Amino acid sequence: MTPLDMPMKHGDAGDGASIGQRLSRHDGKLKITGSADYALERQFEHAAYAVLVPATIGAGRVVSVDTAAALAAGAILVLTPEDDLGLAQATTFTGQRPEGAFLPLPHEIRFDGQSVALVVAESLEAATEAARRIKVTYEAAPVTASLVQTPEDAGTVGEQFNVAWGDAQAAYADAPVKIEADYHTPREYHAAMEPHGLIAKWDGDRLTVWQPSQWVHAMARNYSDWFGIPMEDVRVVSPYVGGGFGSKGFNYGWEALVPAAARRLGRPVKLALSRPQNFNLYGGRASTRQTLKLGATKDGMLQSILLTGASETSTYGVWPEQVGAATPLMYGTPNYRGQQRIVQVNTVTPGALRGPGKAPSAFGIESAMDELAYAVGVDPLEIRLRNQPDHDRMSNKPWSTRRLREALTEGAAAFGWDKRPMAPRSMRDGHQLIGWGVATGTFPVIRNYGEAEIRVTAEGRVEVVSGATDIGQGTYTVLAQTAADAFGVPVDEVSVRLGDSSLPGSPVAGGSKLAGVMTGAVHKAATAAREELIGLALTHPDSPFHGIEANTLELKGGRLTPPRADAPNVTVAELLRAIGRDGLTVRRDTLPEDMQSPEERKRAWTTMTTAQGPTVGDYSQHSWCAHFAEVRVDEDFGTVRVSRIVSAFDCGLLYNPKLVESQWQGGIIMGIGMALFEEGLVDARNGRVVNNNLGDYLVPTNADVPEIQVISVGIPDTNASLLGGKGVGEVGIVGVAPAIANAVFHATGKRVRDLPITLEKLI
Amino acid sequence: MVTPHPNHKPPEHGIHLMTDTIKLDINGKAFTLAAEPRVTLLDALREHLGLTGTKKGCDQGQCGACTVHLDGERVLACLTLAAQAEGKAVTTIEGLAGEDGTLHAVQAAFLEHDAFQCGYCTPGQIMSAVACIREGHAGSDAEIREYMSGNLCRCGAYPHIVAAVRQAAEAVR
Repeated sequence: MTPLDMPMKHGDAGDGASIGQRLSRHDGKLKITGSADYALERQFEHAAYAVLVPATIGAGRVVSVDTAAALAAGAILVLTPEDDLGLAQATTFTGQRPEGAFLPLPHEIRFDGQSVALVVAESLEAATEAARRIKVTYEAAPVTASLVQTPEDAGTVGEQFNVAWGDAQAAYADAPVKIEADYHTPREYHAAMEPHGLIAKWDGDRLTVWQPSQWVHAMARNYSDWFGIPMEDVRVVSPYVGGGFGSKGFNYGWEALVPAAARRLGRPVKLALSRPQNFNLYGGRASTRQTLKLGATKDGMLQSILLTGASETSTYGVWPEQVGAATPLMYGTPNYRGQQRIVQVNTVTPGALRGPGKAPSAFGIESAMDELAYAVGVDPLEIRLRNQPDHDRMSNKPWSTRRLREALTEGAAAFGWDKRPMAPRSMRDGHQLIGWGVATGTFPVIRNYGEAEIRVTAEGRVEVVSGATDIGQGTYTVLAQTAADAFGVPVDEVSVRLGDSSLPGSPVAGGSKLAGVMTGAVHKAATAAREELIGLALTHPDSPFHGIEANTLELKGGRLTPPRADAPNVTVAELLRAIGRDGLTVRRDTLPEDMQSPEERKRAWTTMTTAQGPTVGDYSQHSWCAHFAEVRVDEDFGTVRVSRIVSAFDCGLLYNPKLVESQWQGGIIMGIGMALFEEGLVDARNGRVVNNNLGDYLVPTNADVPEIQVISVGIPDTNASLLGGKGVGEVGIVGVAPAIANAVFHATGKRVRDLPITLEKLI
Repeated sequence: MVTPHPNHKPPEHGIHLMTDTIKLDINGKAFTLAAEPRVTLLDALREHLGLTGTKKGCDQGQCGACTVHLDGERVLACLTLAAQAEGKAVTTIEGLAGEDGTLHAVQAAFLEHDAFQCGYCTPGQIMSAVACIREGHAGSDAEIREYMSGNLCRCGAYPHIVAAVRQAAEAVR
């Protein structure tokens, strides 16, 4: 039986005994007692401590590194640009491997804070002090500090991001109502609570790395490429991850220095980045700008959307933050044209941060739709309902499931939107101006392949084994639920092992796809294990079921039951004992037949080349959401407080609504940060991120967060995944910032088009 | 009071890397460690004693992940030298549950309300919550939000943290 054969119960709830239930976190007790062993907490007798030395110029060259004072202060090893580490370039997530040597400490400086040396000492304190005593001589070069320093036509057009249908320019010229506006989003940072770092340990030519990771398999391949050793001889371990949000998916160059140092010293070496280094040794969300032109009829029906955007990248790597990622999907316009430029500045290469592309993209289109609503005098909810598209114009495919209309109407009802007066500045409470805003969001369904092992123990317990990681989204929990239902045991009888590259293959815990992919793999493996056990029960001569006239048995609640009531009824443990087995191990993957070779398997588990986008196949598949926000703005001081949020989501079937609601709320809260607080401030002289700490780079605190109501309007989408779930992790942030910006407009009459909405923009 | 380790010898390069013997009372147990005086309580716990339940998020007193109790009051272990904790009762997340493993009311409420995701800020949140309730600052949701705002949670579990603290405060009242 597949999930498709199961009778449907209702709405978004699952139908198994466990899937769809509001279970507490499988790994919860470990986390609330301090016993969950995060990667950097692995203890070693003779570990040495490493500290990275940051460059203090934004561009130029390292002329020399003076290590004498550091060595006098207790350094036992200093790696500098002069050291030949003998490393090779590694394959990237695209599957391409650049040729030549890899230099983690290049002489050329491309951004402030780039590593110029690694200092190792007996203690963290000694390494920190010794690193402070490294003296670097530079040749400085001119710096382009950030996107705001560059002209409108800077950079190059990313041809792959061109989207067009109809004749957008002509339709815009002819439209009775025109809106044109520029929107800007600043650099934003992951600020995961657990810092980046790694512990490296060699045993002969075998390397083990303990590292917080969203993708242990790709990292194992990366180390094997760098160090020229077989992937089987590298193990990356990451049992619990203290938040990633996109930052812990790939290796960064400085990470190569730690195994290199460990090899030279012949002992384990540990590096944990300082909090400031977490702001410039890997990239956050790139700063973006976009110009949007909307052409519409007088009753607000869109005729044309024209988007020209730009995002910044580094001078040595390309990471596009796609400001057109959501724009063409949200509304039914007969004419569309979108274009994006990529602009090089002196920064670390930006990266994926929750809702990459989609979050800044939605800030543009969802602010502009609000502007259009006011230009034509149509309620912002109504104008969105009027312009919902009946299919995906970009791919010309039908939506697999798109319950955004339901999200808008059910969210509005829960929020009380019908009581909203249209005019800005029409609600107040003393000094506080009150405003209500709405905006929508989306995130694509990305599909991929996974592999899982099911081990049935002599006691009848089930162990799920996978190399997938849990970064807080709930992998442990939903895989336990999946195995419990598919095999037929209570979820308490299931344990889960994750986060180790020596375990079965998995894609990255990113792109909101891991749960969909891995529940599919675990379901397949657990179903096969059940079938194998039932086969043994019916055919093994020592089985109590041997010789009964039945084609199959039921396995439920950990008990095997035959169709006839008078036949025996035994537990899994009793059966295994009777047939003299101490357990059962079954491994399955979801790869197609023609991808079973070792090369193809390696490609699937260590690159992104096997991922399938939202329009592969017959449908266009996405998660959807609608956010309703209430703000209170102090009329005198311009301070904005979010006082209420209601959000409705279509994410298909929810494997565990309790955990999903947590992720949705977390995304919304990060969206509050994007709207009101978060902005990487860059020194125009040298490109230095000056607010590189959690006291100056503001993230939401408990006191910044109001009551948040989340509603599910989804129905199972079995095109998206085997069990019918769509992604939940990233969609939550998408659309929050424009909902708040629109509420601020409603409260104050002021349209803020550059994030974050700080008080000086309102007074 | 700290004194140089009797075996301490100044290294030849002239930088004094003194090692002290520091005696700490952690979760009712006596620990002795040999560490430099510049070692923080946080690094003493995590790097010297293997008590890694207390987390290092920023090492700058900004995030609250390292919150522990000194004589029952919440402090940031990253801004406290290990030597400063001598003679005081240190309580960490590992010492919160009963000896038989019975969860503290705050721990149980965090689990029930899903007041965490990645779990990295969680020990600090829980230590802060226990103190917040003891201080009498859990009287309303607004008060809980204010007095729990020294502990950042990037996963955004705040609404569930408030619910958990409210429930635990009622349970111990």
